[in-house]
Amino acid sequence: MKVPLSWLRDYVDIDLTPEQLAERLTLLGMEVQSIDRWGGDWQDVVVGELLSVSPHPRADRLSLTTVTIGDGEPLEIVCGATNIAVGQRVPVALPGAVLPGGRRIGRAEKMGVVSNGMLCSGEELRLTSDADGILILAGDAPLGRSISELYGDVVLDVDVKPNRGDALSLIGLAREVSAATGAPVRWPSIDVHEEGPEVGTLLDVEVVEKELCPRFVGRVVNGLSVGPSPDGIQMRLQAAGVRPVSNVVDASNYAMVELGKPTHTFDAAAVHDHRLIVRRARAGERLETLDHVERDLDADTLVIADPAGDLAIAGVMGGAASEVSDKTRDVIIESAIFDPVSIRRTGQRYALRSEASLRFEKGQETRLARIGADRVAALIGEWADGTIARGRVDTNPSEPEPARLPFRPARVNRLTGTDLSHEEQRSLLDRVGIATEEAVAGEMVPVALDPQAALVEPVPGEALVAILPTWRRDLAIEADIAEEVTRVRGYELVPGVTPHEEMPHFRPTPLDVRDAVRQTLSGAGFTEVVSYALVSPRHVDAFRLRNPVPSLDDEPSPGGEPITVTNPLSSQHSVLRTGLIGSLVEVVASNRRHGRDEIAVFEVGKGYAKEGDRPREWWRLGIALAGSRPASWDRPAFPFDLDDAKGVIELVARRMGLGEASYSPELDEPIFHPGRTARISAPGLLGIVGELHPALTEAWDVRAERVIVAELALRGLSAGRPAPVRSVPPPRYPAVERDLAVIVAEDRPIGDVARVLRASGGDLLRDIRLFDLYRGAPLASGEKSVAFRLAFQAEDRTFTETEIDEVVKSVADALGREVGGRLRT
Amino acid sequence: MDLDSLRADLENLRRGALERIAAASEPAQIDQLSVDLLGKKGELTLVLRGIGGLPAEQRPKVGAIANEVRQAIEGALAERGGELRTGALGRRLQAESVDVTTPGRPIPRGSRHPIIETMAEIAEVFGQFGFVVYESPEVEDDLTNFQMLNIPPDHPARDLWDTMYVDIPEHLLRTHTSPGQIRVMHAERPPIRALLPGRCFRYEATDASHASEFFQVEGLMVDEGTSLADLRGLLDQFAHAMFGADKRTRFRPGYYPFTEPSVAFDVECLICGGRRCPACSHTGWMTILGAGMVHPVVLQYGGIDPERYQGFAFGMGAERIANLRHGVGDLRLYLENDLRFLEQFP
Repeated sequence: MKVPLSWLRDYVDIDLTPEQLAERLTLLGMEVQSIDRWGGDWQDVVVGELLSVSPHPRADRLSLTTVTIGDGEPLEIVCGATNIAVGQRVPVALPGAVLPGGRRIGRAEKMGVVSNGMLCSGEELRLTSDADGILILAGDAPLGRSISELYGDVVLDVDVKPNRGDALSLIGLAREVSAATGAPVRWPSIDVHEEGPEVGTLLDVEVVEKELCPRFVGRVVNGLSVGPSPDGIQMRLQAAGVRPVSNVVDASNYAMVELGKPTHTFDAAAVHDHRLIVRRARAGERLETLDHVERDLDADTLVIADPAGDLAIAGVMGGAASEVSDKTRDVIIESAIFDPVSIRRTGQRYALRSEASLRFEKGQETRLARIGADRVAALIGEWADGTIARGRVDTNPSEPEPARLPFRPARVNRLTGTDLSHEEQRSLLDRVGIATEEAVAGEMVPVALDPQAALVEPVPGEALVAILPTWRRDLAIEADIAEEVTRVRGYELVPGVTPHEEMPHFRPTPLDVRDAVRQTLSGAGFTEVVSYALVSPRHVDAFRLRNPVPSLDDEPSPGGEPITVTNPLSSQHSVLRTGLIGSLVEVVASNRRHGRDEIAVFEVGKGYAKEGDRPREWWRLGIALAGSRPASWDRPAFPFDLDDAKGVIELVARRMGLGEASYSPELDEPIFHPGRTARISAPGLLGIVGELHPALTEAWDVRAERVIVAELALRGLSAGRPAPVRSVPPPRYPAVERDLAVIVAEDRPIGDVARVLRASGGDLLRDIRLFDLYRGAPLASGEKSVAFRLAFQAEDRTFTETEIDEVVKSVADALGREVGGRLRT
Repeated sequence: MDLDSLRADLENLRRGALERIAAASEPAQIDQLSVDLLGKKGELTLVLRGIGGLPAEQRPKVGAIANEVRQAIEGALAERGGELRTGALGRRLQAESVDVTTPGRPIPRGSRHPIIETMAEIAEVFGQFGFVVYESPEVEDDLTNFQMLNIPPDHPARDLWDTMYVDIPEHLLRTHTSPGQIRVMHAERPPIRALLPGRCFRYEATDASHASEFFQVEGLMVDEGTSLADLRGLLDQFAHAMFGADKRTRFRPGYYPFTEPSVAFDVECLICGGRRCPACSHTGWMTILGAGMVHPVVLQYGGIDPERYQGFAFGMGAERIANLRHGVGDLRLYLENDLRFLEQFP
């Protein structure tokens, strides 16, 4: 809410600088987001007096004027307005001035006459909304004084929280100032000069929906003349961010800013039978609202109607047909209380949120209906010279007594960590208008109310009762009083202590495995990325795996359908991803487009899907490689390939204490290169690793020849800890190594050979390592030689050659039997 | 063979040997000469074979001369050999010298994402005070995300969270980590000290200071006596850990439907040190998180008696903390994954 300080001072004395005031309000919970200088951009606009006005010799519509600004030679200024006369004081923009909106004023020639500046309209200065004539200032405005000094103001932008609808008004903020400084609040004097006929003869109101409109106060002003408001009023509204419209509309807006009470004015001539009806709209009804949009109404919409049809959407926007215009002579003022939820829903349904509906949504104290009607009637009577009818139409004149809220000062202290006496708490509450008294026996303390009341009976003498001001609709439970006490005293005075309550039991963090993976991969030269969970439908379709990597542990499985956002910001971010591969491909693509060669990235993130109406989320590790490890000055670059990805996955598996990884060809995942893709499995690890299919590389504009991607499920990734390592002492006897070259058919996967070696090597075989792959003479075509180095190790002895020969022989037999291999000698 | 001729032979041998040793140019030649001259079948041995033909009384004289010759040769070999070996090592060292000013062979650096790391650091600070990490779903139900947090349907405060809904009835993408409070309370009994980091979503167009996806860290502590003073004490320590022990902090009223009293927590502007600048909107302070005492209704929804127990909750944007710590001015950098940005982090 924009708060012009000069206007706020109508209601409370302020003896602080704007910065000090802003800080005090902020510390009370009324956060001041900015301090603006209203009129700060009129520095070279000053008060001048017209010394002469004569017609321009060559242009009918222009006048030549001479203007004095007090000292110096009078200025010759050309002017296009017709409302000027000798002796008037007017704003003069001197050459060099910059007007709101950045308009620069210089010395200019106009039809052969040099103009030394410009006379300004209210609109040009954004002081009033009058663009037709020059702004005529008060006759005693001091010559030469800058307009900014005379009419400028300091405007605070206050962020009023949703629970404090009462403070969306200058009166409400004046109360807060009063709480901070102790200065009393001054209500405006509201003098309603009732001279017209009895209002009952001019207006009849029927509320059909009493739940949705608990109170409706109507007043009538007759015989008025619609025109601009006084300049000073227009300036106030402008500074508060409200566009002046006419004296009638401005009166309504003025009261809204002042009191926080939205009201509406109808042209009485447009209301049939002087009769307003508050009811639900009927299906099929239409209404053209003030913004000239024809709207379809329905039974959830509360309207103000007359016997002939709808006039306004209650609390949200008026109708065009009953709008106050230049020709309006008589107006009906509506000052009503509406159900906040109904107003909120209506505003959302029609995408219409106004300053009025925002205030209605937060709830209003019922007495404002009366005060608002009186204030608007008084202002219209004064500014538009109307005759106010006697009395009000009021559908529910009873105004509730202040509510009682019992609370225990001791609980306030327990909640806030303070030790304030009853008296201290009472005097703090008094500063925000909350009177207190001793609780009556049997009064229960509301610890909680909706939806399940928790009422506590205090021990005698323990509780006080807060008598709540009618405008404080936000106070309902004991904790609310704790906040009032604390904020009035100052949150700054809450002491800071280190908690000394009992500690909870040990519980492992769910992040251990994820953190270990992240450390391993970043240590191996990979960069961690975090990408959007929301992706495009095309992305999800393109990168969905036919057979998703299955979940480990008790994580939900990755089946089901993708989850779609029903109100997305853009289709680019409208579906939750089902895996990480697509996101990583996009990371590769965008970095390649920046001209980057080497890309080695990983992400630990979630996939999402739904099974029926149940959402599922699971954790995965994704890895992507593209380009090459860069050359150094004496070494060539190494292009990344599948084995680099496998190597880093094996590194992760080893670091996490998982078992040996084995691979099997994956021919049937459309997003992958069918000849360069494997399923991986190891105890505690499942996944897929391979080259992205070249068709996708092209479709996603990945400017890299090869992109290697992997997606893995890891034991403990969702919530686990790496198992503690079981160590063994280093062997005391040397390992014996033996090289075996095995000749197998070309299409025989090396993984098969390795499997047979491991299975047949016996207990003493500790490790195998592929070290050579050979094709060509003297091998037959269609054959390859695969060479492994086998390491044998025993705990208790050194091997004899004979022992090893025996193992090699049984390995050779197994190779022959299971993979058709023979040893190359 | 007589004494004189033998003596002459030994003298010749000595002279010739010393000349050859002096002429040697490689340590290997010295080794060879040592064998040729003094070895078992060496020249000295050959000469001394003649000693057997001498009368017994002359033999000691020849022996003395022969020893003298041997010592002379040995001395010369050692001296020349030493000279040659020193020279050879020197030449090798010289030959092997490199330009030590060339850069090292690069090891790929790798890096961890600043947001995930920031959350880990936050967890570490609160971990020292017994706070344990929990996690809760990102696709959340309306009940837990709003209603159980004291935000019923049609509550004006819903405007504080622009929400993305999904095609599962009554479900949405969580707008904050606060629903995790409810899930922790359903899983644990007091004393509770929980930290809930994670991804959140808002219906908010992306620009330098707004993001549709972002990360929050929620904290929750519930016990019989946990108060605003505990909250303040912890937040002060947190701010000092993250931003420096010399930084002033400010505790002021805030508003959240799920806390009462509610708190906004500020740290003195890290740019101007409180002297007021554009970065802090001329207030001298930067808000780093929202907090408050858990609303009794929220405790009730968590199955906890609000008369016996009370506690605080706080929530902070990980990006906000990371921005301040790392001098990042544009939220978009965190999810754009430009390696030129990410690789600046350890």
